[in-house]
Amino acid sequence: MGLAGLTQVQKRQLVCFLFTLPALAVVFVFFLFPMLRALLFSFTNWDGIARTYRWIGLKNFQTVVADSSFKQIVFNTLYLTIIYVPVLNVVALLLAVGVYNAGKAGNVYKAMLFFPNLLSMTVIGLIWNIIYRYNGLFNQFLKLVGLKVLVQDWLGQVNTVLPAMSVTIIWFAVGYYLLIYLAGLNTVPLELYESAEVEGVSAWQKLVRITIPLIAPSITINAVLSTIGIVTLFDLPFVLTGGGPGFKSQTIAMHVYAYAFQQLRTSYALALAVILGAFAILITSLQLRFLRRREEVIL
Amino acid sequence: MKSKRLLGFRRRARVGINVVMVLIVLLLILPLWYVLNNAFKVEKEILRRPLVLLPSAATLDSVIRSFKAMKYPRVFMNSAVVFALSCALLISAGSLAAFGIAMAKSRFLNAVYVVLVAMITLPFQLAMVPLIFLLKGLRLMNSYLGTALVYSGWFLPFVVFLYTGFIRTVPKELEEAGRVDGCGLFRSYRSIYIPLLKSITGTVLILRGVPIWNDLLVPIITISRATMSTLPLKLYSFIASSGSSATRWNLVFGSTFLVSVPILFVFLFLQRYFVRGVVAGAIKG
Repeated sequence: MGLAGLTQVQKRQLVCFLFTLPALAVVFVFFLFPMLRALLFSFTNWDGIARTYRWIGLKNFQTVVADSSFKQIVFNTLYLTIIYVPVLNVVALLLAVGVYNAGKAGNVYKAMLFFPNLLSMTVIGLIWNIIYRYNGLFNQFLKLVGLKVLVQDWLGQVNTVLPAMSVTIIWFAVGYYLLIYLAGLNTVPLELYESAEVEGVSAWQKLVRITIPLIAPSITINAVLSTIGIVTLFDLPFVLTGGGPGFKSQTIAMHVYAYAFQQLRTSYALALAVILGAFAILITSLQLRFLRRREEVIL
Repeated sequence: MKSKRLLGFRRRARVGINVVMVLIVLLLILPLWYVLNNAFKVEKEILRRPLVLLPSAATLDSVIRSFKAMKYPRVFMNSAVVFALSCALLISAGSLAAFGIAMAKSRFLNAVYVVLVAMITLPFQLAMVPLIFLLKGLRLMNSYLGTALVYSGWFLPFVVFLYTGFIRTVPKELEEAGRVDGCGLFRSYRSIYIPLLKSITGTVLILRGVPIWNDLLVPIITISRATMSTLPLKLYSFIASSGSSATRWNLVFGSTFLVSVPILFVFLFLQRYFVRGVVAGAIKG
C-alpha cells in the first residue's frame, strides 16, 4: 500500500494519529458536533422534530432576550457569580489556613470539610430544601440562638432565596477549593514566616503580605474553576428550588433545560444555550487575563 | 520542624485554632448528621428530635422500606454500569489519545490538543439539545451505552489533558529504550506506559468518575424509563417530584442515606487518594 512511501517519522506520526482517533471520534460526535449544530440551528426555526427549517437570523435571540424571564435569569446568574466566587474563595482560604495551622487534627478537619463535595448534588439539594423549610432545622436553630425575628420560609421568598441558595452551594463546594488552597499553602517556605515573626509582624499582616501573594496560582485556579462551576451549575439549584419562586432563583443554565425539556421550545433553548456558551467563554477569558501573571496554570 | 511554627502562628495559638475549627467543622457536618440519624429512627421522632438519636427510637425500618420502594438493587446496578462504562471509555480512549499526542511531535496533533483543551470549559448545556435528538436518531436513549457516550464526549477533553500532561513528564528515554528493544508504539503504550498511569488514572476517577456517579443532568435527559434510572435520578423522581405535602419523612431520609452510602464507603477507605487526586488535577507543573 501507500504506506511504503512514508518515512520512519511519518509512519510514527500516522500511528500516533490513529491512537487519538477513538477519543476524537467520540468527542466530535457526542460533544463538538452537537455544539456546532446548536450554534447553527439557533439561527433557524428548527423545532427538533420537523424535517424542514429555515434561516430566521437573530429572531430566536430577540425573542429570548425580550422574554420577561430573561432579565431575571441573567440577574440571578450574575448575582450568584458575584456573591459566590469571592465569598467561597475567602471562606475556603481561611478554612485552609485554619486546617494548616491546626496540627495533627488538620487531616480530620480536612476530610470532614471535603466530604460534602463527594455527595450527589441531588442529595444536597434535597437535604437543604428540608433544612430551609418553615419548620425546618435552620429556623429551629435561629429560634434556639434567640433570632426568632429571622424565622421565615427561606426558599419561598423572593429576597431570601438567592442568599439561601448561595449558602448551600458554598457549603457544598468549599471543601474542594480548600484542598487546592491547602496544597498552595504547603509550597510556602516557612522561613518567610520566621523572619516576619522576628520583625514582629501581626498574623493578619502575614496572611495579607506573605501568604496571599505566594499562593496566587491557587487563587487563580480556584477563581476560574469556581466561576465556570457556578455559571454552568444545574443539579443543585434544580433540586433545591427548581428555579422558584417564579423564576426568582432560575439561572441561565437551568433555563436552557426549562426551554428544551419543560416548555419544549427547542429554538429558544438553542439560542439561550449559545448565549450561555458565549457568557462562559467571555468570563473565563477575562478572568484568566486579569488573574494570570507569572504563574503557569491551566485548570 | 513543621509542627513548631506554622504560617506565623505560635504554638499557644494552636489550641485556639483547634477550638474554632472543631466548632466550624461540627456546624458544617450538622446537615449530614441530620440525614444520618433520621434515617435510623421511627417517623414521629424525626419531627420531635431531629438531631438526637435515642436508642429506644432506633430502627432500620426506614432504610429497609426505602430500599424496597426505590428498587435499590436494580437502580444501583444501573448507576454502576453507567459509571463503569463511562470510566472505561474515558480511561482507555483518553490515555491512548494522550499517548499519541505526547509521542507524535506533530504540529497537527498539537493543534488538536489545543482545541481539546479549549473545549474543557465549554458548558454542556450548549451541546445538550442537539445531543438528545442525535441519541434519539441513534436509538441510544434509555441505554447505558448512550449515557456513557454522552459523558465520554463531555469529559474526554479534560481526561486527555490530564493524561497528556502526565505522559509529558515521563522521560522520553523510556519509550526510546523500548523502541531499541523492538517495541512498537502500541506495545510500549501497553507494557511501559499503562503501568505508570495508575496514579493519574486515580485522579481521573476522582475528578470525573465521582461527578458521573453523582450526576443528575445527563440521566434526567437521556433516561426516561424507570427501570433504567440511576441513583440520583431515582432519588429526584422518588422524592423531589412528589411534592412537599405528601412527604414521608422516613422515606426521604432512608433513601437519601441509601443514595449516599456507596460514596461514603469508598471515601472512608480511599480518603488519601481523594485528597491527592483533587490537588493533582488542579495544579499542573
